[in-house]
Amino acid sequence: MIASLRDNDELQLNAYCDGELDPVSVGEFERRLASDGSLKARYDRLVSLRQAVRSVPQVEMPPGLQARILSRLDAERPSNVTVLRRRSWSSQALAAAAVFGAVISSSVMVTLDQYAQRENVASQVVAGHIRSLLAPQPFDIASSDRHTVKPWFTARLPESPQVPDLAAQGFTLLGGRVDVIGHDPVATIVYKHAAHTVSLTTLRPGQAVSEQTVAGYNVRSWSDANFTYVAVSDLPSADLATFERVFSAGPPAPEVK
Amino acid sequence: MSGQQRVSVPIVQNKDERTAFDEVFLPHLPEAYRLAQWLTGNSSDAEDIVQEAALRAFRGIKSFGAVNARAWSLTIVRNTAFSWLAKNKPKKVVYMNDLSAAEQQELEYEGAHGTRIETPEEIALIKADADEVQQALAKLPVQFREVIVLRELNQMNYRDIAEIINVPIGTVMSRLSRGRQLLTALLGDRK
Repeated sequence: MIASLRDNDELQLNAYCDGELDPVSVGEFERRLASDGSLKARYDRLVSLRQAVRSVPQVEMPPGLQARILSRLDAERPSNVTVLRRRSWSSQALAAAAVFGAVISSSVMVTLDQYAQRENVASQVVAGHIRSLLAPQPFDIASSDRHTVKPWFTARLPESPQVPDLAAQGFTLLGGRVDVIGHDPVATIVYKHAAHTVSLTTLRPGQAVSEQTVAGYNVRSWSDANFTYVAVSDLPSADLATFERVFSAGPPAPEVK
Repeated sequence: MSGQQRVSVPIVQNKDERTAFDEVFLPHLPEAYRLAQWLTGNSSDAEDIVQEAALRAFRGIKSFGAVNARAWSLTIVRNTAFSWLAKNKPKKVVYMNDLSAAEQQELEYEGAHGTRIETPEEIALIKADADEVQQALAKLPVQFREVIVLRELNQMNYRDIAEIINVPIGTVMSRLSRGRQLLTALLGDRK
């Protein structure tokens, strides 16, 4: 029994308790735990210590603290005013572009060349979807937690979309990936509906493509002020229409603030 | 994955700083406050530290390139708390790096439970109420207290703890193990 008390034991015991041992070591460790009374006693003590520590009540943040911090940040802002003003102008321009996109697109301003480019976008988005289905998994980051997927996009792309989990409406968030459309990396959110995978690729606004079928996949596209969305799936087009509706209804409020 | 996290990408270039701050730092404010409170042991100090950390985060928001906003935010809070402690309560903070190798070894690995092997009969379960645990935690050297707080109260994994306190995972493991032994000794000695 004493021989089994190696230096390493204490570290293993802690890592096991914290769920940080790899699966193989977990198996080995549990076998030792079952046959070693001293180790088991120390494990039980560690668990009781953990319970005691976790019983300590969490202190609450003073109610006014957040407001104080935010007002202090407002005092910091003047140095950034010019930058901010330029940016907000450009986002207004983007919004305007999205609003008038439909009008402009029906006018002579859209050349056939641009039209061809757009349909090319649809086939690239579908290509991304097909590639993802051939890969071990259709996403680069797996998570049903929008608070994981959104920051993952934010870290990689200049603009990242809201990532609502629509499980309640039948579309479960699986994760996200980065697709390259043209030469631009863009965010694609991946959902599951029954046994079907839905890829939702987000493009700069004003790039909506027509509803169509490419290589057997249905494509549906719509835009809001920030993005053009292109959904691809082997779902019937009626289900994709439902998807558009629930995604657009989305989370009622922005994610933060 | 962890390799990627260290690559700094200027992700907020197309957003204003305030929006980025609201998305990255603000959601972790309550947790930031709790961590600061544990590190300083005092609520008004914790408030100062969180305010200072928020300001630092806001000014440095463009450098946020990590995937993990929570770890990034808590790193700033932790570092702010340590520089605050060094300035205001230097006696409370003994930096590991200031100790000799032998002393580090002593502090991290040796001690009450490291020197002697207990028999199973000697190993009793910890029965302590929240007040007793709180007092015992407050007595721990801050290097051990912070890993226990991050692990048990913030429920972070080893990798995130390693990132926040900027040490290898092996050191996180040895400090957690040693810190829990010290805590066990403190709580066990009451009887």
